[in-house]
Amino acid sequence: MSRQTIISAAHLKKSFGTKENVQTIYSDLNINIYRGDFTVIMGSSGAGKSTLMYSLSGMDKPDGGQIDFDGTDITKLNSDRLAVFRRRQCGFVFQQIYLIDKMSLMDNVVTAGVLTNKNKEDIRANAKQLFSLVNIPEITWEKTPSQISGGEAQRAGIVRAVINHPNVLFADEPTGALNSANGTAVLDVFSSLHEKGQSIVMVTHDKKSALRGSRILYIKDGKIGGECHLGKFDPNNAERCGHFEKFLTEMGW
Amino acid sequence: MKQTSTLILHNLKKAKGQYLSFGFVICLTALIMNIALVLAFQTFSAYDERFAGLETADINFMIPQFQDNGEMISEIEKIDGVLTVEKHNGVFVTATVREFADSDFDMNTVFYNLDEARTLNLLDVSEYSDKSGNAAYIPIYMKELGGFTEGGHITYSVDGIDDTYEIAGTVSEMQYGNYGTGLIGGYFPTAAYENFADEHSGQRIVEYSLKTTASADLLKVKKAITDILSDREITALNINDRAAARQTRTMVCTLLIIIFLTLAAIILALSIFLSSFRIRSTIEDELAQMGVLKAVGYTSGLIIGSVVMPYILTGAIAAGTGAALSYTVLPYAAKILAIQSGFVYRPVFDAAALLITAIILIVTIFLFAYLSSRKIYKTEPINAIRGNTGNGNAGQNILLSALSVGIMVLLSFAGTLLYNVSVKPDNFMNTLSEESPSAIFTAQNDRLPELKNLLQNDGRVKLVLEYTSTSVSYADGSLTAFVCEDFGMAANDICYEGRSPVKADEIAVGNALADHYPPGSKIELTVSGKSAVYTVTGYIQSVNHGGLVCQLTNEGYQKIGGLLNTVNVYLYDKNADELIKEYEEHHGALIVSSVNYELLSENSQKMYAGIVSAIVVVLFVISVLMALLVLYVLINSMISRRRQEFGIYKALGYTGGQLILMTAARFMPVIALSASLSAAAGIWILPAINQMIFSRIGAVKNHFEVSVPVLLILTVLFTAVSFLISALLAAPIKKITVYSLLKE
Repeated sequence: MSRQTIISAAHLKKSFGTKENVQTIYSDLNINIYRGDFTVIMGSSGAGKSTLMYSLSGMDKPDGGQIDFDGTDITKLNSDRLAVFRRRQCGFVFQQIYLIDKMSLMDNVVTAGVLTNKNKEDIRANAKQLFSLVNIPEITWEKTPSQISGGEAQRAGIVRAVINHPNVLFADEPTGALNSANGTAVLDVFSSLHEKGQSIVMVTHDKKSALRGSRILYIKDGKIGGECHLGKFDPNNAERCGHFEKFLTEMGW
Repeated sequence: MKQTSTLILHNLKKAKGQYLSFGFVICLTALIMNIALVLAFQTFSAYDERFAGLETADINFMIPQFQDNGEMISEIEKIDGVLTVEKHNGVFVTATVREFADSDFDMNTVFYNLDEARTLNLLDVSEYSDKSGNAAYIPIYMKELGGFTEGGHITYSVDGIDDTYEIAGTVSEMQYGNYGTGLIGGYFPTAAYENFADEHSGQRIVEYSLKTTASADLLKVKKAITDILSDREITALNINDRAAARQTRTMVCTLLIIIFLTLAAIILALSIFLSSFRIRSTIEDELAQMGVLKAVGYTSGLIIGSVVMPYILTGAIAAGTGAALSYTVLPYAAKILAIQSGFVYRPVFDAAALLITAIILIVTIFLFAYLSSRKIYKTEPINAIRGNTGNGNAGQNILLSALSVGIMVLLSFAGTLLYNVSVKPDNFMNTLSEESPSAIFTAQNDRLPELKNLLQNDGRVKLVLEYTSTSVSYADGSLTAFVCEDFGMAANDICYEGRSPVKADEIAVGNALADHYPPGSKIELTVSGKSAVYTVTGYIQSVNHGGLVCQLTNEGYQKIGGLLNTVNVYLYDKNADELIKEYEEHHGALIVSSVNYELLSENSQKMYAGIVSAIVVVLFVISVLMALLVLYVLINSMISRRRQEFGIYKALGYTGGQLILMTAARFMPVIALSASLSAAAGIWILPAINQMIFSRIGAVKNHFEVSVPVLLILTVLFTAVSFLISALLAAPIKKITVYSLLKE
């Protein structure tokens, strides 16, 4: 069965620094993201994983190349059109969570929801379903981020990210700031969303998190150094784990 | 200091823009404050210096020449406290000055022979051409305010006869200076003077000018003079003393100083709120760094010093700059005052003003900066490092409220002033002047009833009222008496306490006499040696005569003076010019003179509208600048504090424009609410403010209306402008990339 490409990026260039001290992250990177995949981007520290993800999602502009996102070359969009594009196509989960401190969890979600749906009651109803899906109890919905645990906050962050039914959910080290139990709970949510057909792109250097993915991409020397297909997540499938371990070893992890 | 100099420099470099804007506000405050102080310190002393330099007499009084005799001077010299006495000849007339500021203006004028030798009341003559031919010299006040030029011509109309003179020069003197005392000088070379005096020989006067000892009580000397005159049944046409003249002539200056100081106080209060807010925000933003400094051994005092010192340094430099810049504005301010007060001076550098400005500003900045940064004392290093930053919204809202209230006070005052000058000019004119008819006619002797009857039957005429202003004497000098057949019919009720007289033995006196003549007390008036006693029924205001006025009924005046032949004519429409022409043409035999008061009022109103418009523009500019600065500080601080939050919003898909609108709208509830409350309070407070300011120049009864629609418009305008400014200032949010925000 042929897979449907949702993001196709070609000849991407990105560098940082000044003229005298240029740090090239990638100079000719090509990548495809497919609908329904749980794509995990891995690589060594400083390889440009997050930079790539933010370029693919229209959060940052590459220095060169094209990014076709569901038929739109997003490198040609200005900042306002990119904002409109993001609210319709993308959801984001960050390592630092970035909920708005002074708002309740519900208001954080509604703040994102009103961008595509003017009916606040509708948004609240959706949010309640999603809160239940990610196991956030009702008593917590009106609390502010500082009044709940990191795991709950990150799960609320996921609810905010999917409230507008994005084509692709992007996650940047979503368990990086969480303890093991909270991290697992968050990863379970990602797996659950993936099972329901949500396309996900996740950047991580955590093997436990990466194992949730169906497709692993490894960035090496500014290019996609390797690719590994793991299929559906199954914690009891030892062969899948071995295949993943072998891939990482090949990539020099 | 050495220990904190690095921190101070770091703080200064880090927030250059913020210190610059703070410095700008302080600079503006210092500029206005220094102008007020220099004017306060130098105008009055320049007045006194000029007064002494021109050997101006401490008391001047004039009597009809035919009543003068050789013994008078020795009698005056004997009065206790009198040093020297000098006599001057003159002609005292009510002259209509043609084309005075494009209108005819009646002025009580004393004409002098410019060549007559004098040692007192010296004249500083600035000659334009030879004093040959029909030349006249005019006071600087008339040149500036009347729009006359040297080499041009001036026409005086006296007793219906117009005489035109070439203006050969100007005269600067300190006896009259301006028309504040209700008298002004006119000067002719010998030949022209003799001609003029011959034409008006019945109005020749002798003026006695007195120098008194430094310790002399001017009121007692004046009383002694009036006693002498009274004993000899001599009419005092006018008696003026140094103190009264000084007060009248410097009234506008005093008013301007009050306005400047109030303005400076409002701006200073706002800048203090601004710096306090900024310091509290800085502390909250950098509490972790301060915790680290404490942890490595910096004392709270050293850290507070590093926070406070940049404000002190900026304030000191800005105060000096503002004070220095004020000297570019001061010559213009002094010129405006010169026109009003009738003497010219050039403001010079004033160390005392600079010192006071700098001390007030620096001490205030230090005090508030210190109070705002005291939180550092209580902060434990570990709590600071953990980032317990608190909530800066309360300070922000207080600052916004202070801004809104301060600016709305300025705008409401300016708006009300403009409304009462431009939309309801009668309110303004009734506050500053006395009766404002359409035209004034003076009838030939015994022909008044005939003229009055004609006018009353004219369909264009709403009201004809016998109303005259004339001069009467009382114990301490002379008064301008408003004599009317029925004050109840007058258009402008100038009585601010008690009531106007209705009986022949009643009188209402001006505000200058209020302290000495309580209601029910008696006052004796004299005209041409004939006296009568009147009972005080109330107080009236008079800006033009410095409060030295009174109201008498026709019958009341006739007890001491003769019949008066003047009527005020009030028309339905504005066609005084047409009426005057018609009556002069068809009923010339009945009329001695006529005044187009409608035109006079219009010209006065235009002049005041010009001044008020300038004040309003200045207040509007200051308001916008203040709003700009305060909002700049708040929005800058907000962008830096909420950078990450903006990043989150952008990541969610909010556009730059949406975030700008959200930021601008965030301030609006506080601004709109404070502005609305301030405007609502203004309905009750503004009359008190107007009353306070205008009573300083003698307008005790204020006719100003506070217009609710004007306040409403100003509130909406201020809120809208604040929103626009906020949106413009928040524009940099658009340029920040979401990625950079999240990565910071």
